[in-house]
Amino acid sequence: MATSVLTVDSIRKQFESVRAVDDVSFSVERGEILGFLGPNGAGKTTTIRMILGIFDPDGGTIRSGHGGAKRVEKERTGYLPEERGLYGDARVGDLLAYFAELKGLPRTEAQRRVTAWLDRFDLVDWQRSKVEKLSKGMQQKVQFIASVLHGPDLVVLDEPFSGLDPVNQDLLKEIIGDLRREGTAILLSSHQMNRVEELCDRIFLIHQGRRVLYGELDEIKESHGEHVVHLRYRGDATQLAETDGVTVRSAEQGALSLILSPQVTPDRLVRELLSDVEVLALHVDRPPLHDIFVRTIGGSDEAQ
Amino acid sequence: MKLSRVVRWEFSQNVRSKQFLIMTIMLPAIIGIAVFAVTQAMGTEVSRSDAPPPVIIGLFLAMILFLGAFMSGVMTMYGILKEKQNRCAELMLSTVSAWELMSGKMIGLGLTGLIQVTVWGLTAYLVVGMFIPVSLASLTPVHWITYPIYFVLGFLFIASIFGTVGAAIKDIHSGGAIGIVGIIPYVPMMFTAFIVTQPNHLWVRIASFIPPFAPGVMLLRLGAAPMAESGPTSIPTWEVALSLLSLGVGTFLMMRFAAKVFEVGMLMTGKTASLKELWRWGIRGNRNRKIGGAE
Repeated sequence: MATSVLTVDSIRKQFESVRAVDDVSFSVERGEILGFLGPNGAGKTTTIRMILGIFDPDGGTIRSGHGGAKRVEKERTGYLPEERGLYGDARVGDLLAYFAELKGLPRTEAQRRVTAWLDRFDLVDWQRSKVEKLSKGMQQKVQFIASVLHGPDLVVLDEPFSGLDPVNQDLLKEIIGDLRREGTAILLSSHQMNRVEELCDRIFLIHQGRRVLYGELDEIKESHGEHVVHLRYRGDATQLAETDGVTVRSAEQGALSLILSPQVTPDRLVRELLSDVEVLALHVDRPPLHDIFVRTIGGSDEAQ
Repeated sequence: MKLSRVVRWEFSQNVRSKQFLIMTIMLPAIIGIAVFAVTQAMGTEVSRSDAPPPVIIGLFLAMILFLGAFMSGVMTMYGILKEKQNRCAELMLSTVSAWELMSGKMIGLGLTGLIQVTVWGLTAYLVVGMFIPVSLASLTPVHWITYPIYFVLGFLFIASIFGTVGAAIKDIHSGGAIGIVGIIPYVPMMFTAFIVTQPNHLWVRIASFIPPFAPGVMLLRLGAAPMAESGPTSIPTWEVALSLLSLGVGTFLMMRFAAKVFEVGMLMTGKTASLKELWRWGIRGNRNRKIGGAE
């Protein structure tokens, strides 16, 4: 049984004449990663700021799940803002302990956790250094620690991977996975669709302040009904490329990338359409989230 | 409590800064040692004179208040501006309220400033004492009670004005029209002679009840006229009480105002508020939806 850590119910926020967030509802469950996606200016940051109590919605409610109708407590949330920033002249260890204490941890416990987390991110040697002496990537890791160190029920991560090298990206991915296993609810906002696909259980796509997609990642892909095909071949593929329901994404010498519309199943592709060519390699998959994102946002823009 | 944690943080961060060390310990120490060395070498005769009247002490306190509060205010303004610029504000506000953050900053920095002016005051006391015997004997218990209160409240009031300015501007070069409000508490100093010679003039009495003017006016007034129930040259007790009350309430409201401006201003880092917007931000804060804002 999933239990909601956060329930957002038809919240609205207006800035002057702009309706930044309009009737948005979703929930985040314990031990779940919800991908919170949308183009720039869609209302993501505004929604996140309302969830974290930085400002209040004009209408609707934001409740924390474990107590029922309670407001979200700042002590039980962690936040990694997209706009990174820390007090440059403070020492790394002091700063993290300060944040943890503000989140309600007793001093000794705060200090113990700071050391443990710095150790995990290989930053123990920097504990006594000033924040401004650290590289950008290190500061980023420090800021991530600040968002999770107090063991919150809900963590909001806004572009957590930007600015990290591949090794640290993997480390961060592993740690996010651990947090989920421990039952933390995670709201992950990112433009890196491959990361979202790797990590998220469900996604929420917001556009112009409104919900456009919400649900299980697999189901959303399923419901799009299409397949993406990567084919390496020998022979003449003109006929395949001209079949109804087959769209060519890209074509090179001996390699094709195709999109199959719902009426062309992978089964039909293999049985009927590939008979003219000698198949060297074939890869069939659901469309990447990237395509779904672009199509959904593009489609809703045209509809206006 | 979060507020006290913020106060402790701001205080400890600033006490440890080089700037504080230089201004508070090294500078007075150098001046003190230099003067001491000069007097020793020249063998200056210490002249005898009577203890200075309270009005001199009041004037001295007012000067040190305004100098110290100005420096501390500028530090607060920088601190808040830095908070906006280094983008730490968003993270902080997901943890504490704008009120806790702003009042914590102002009180923490105010404490640093108070330590600073106390050191200066003591240095001045010792240095001056080398030339003339300085005695505080002329101060009555009333002075001992009221002077510190006016001093501390005046300090906080000025710091919160500067804090408001810091929250409303986008960078240090764009103080502009808003910077003007920072000088309001200093206005009484231009009328020092008038206040000292006519401590019970109607205008002086009225100014005692207006929070921004109260510290300056009252430090001078209390020095010039004794507080008593009656008499043409004394200050009625109720006037002092009312002045303190209005300053106390005024300081609190000013700090709240600063917090509200910060609440709006911190999410609009690219913008300096006009005086009209400043008023709107400060009164309504984020609860008003007619504020501009990023995404």
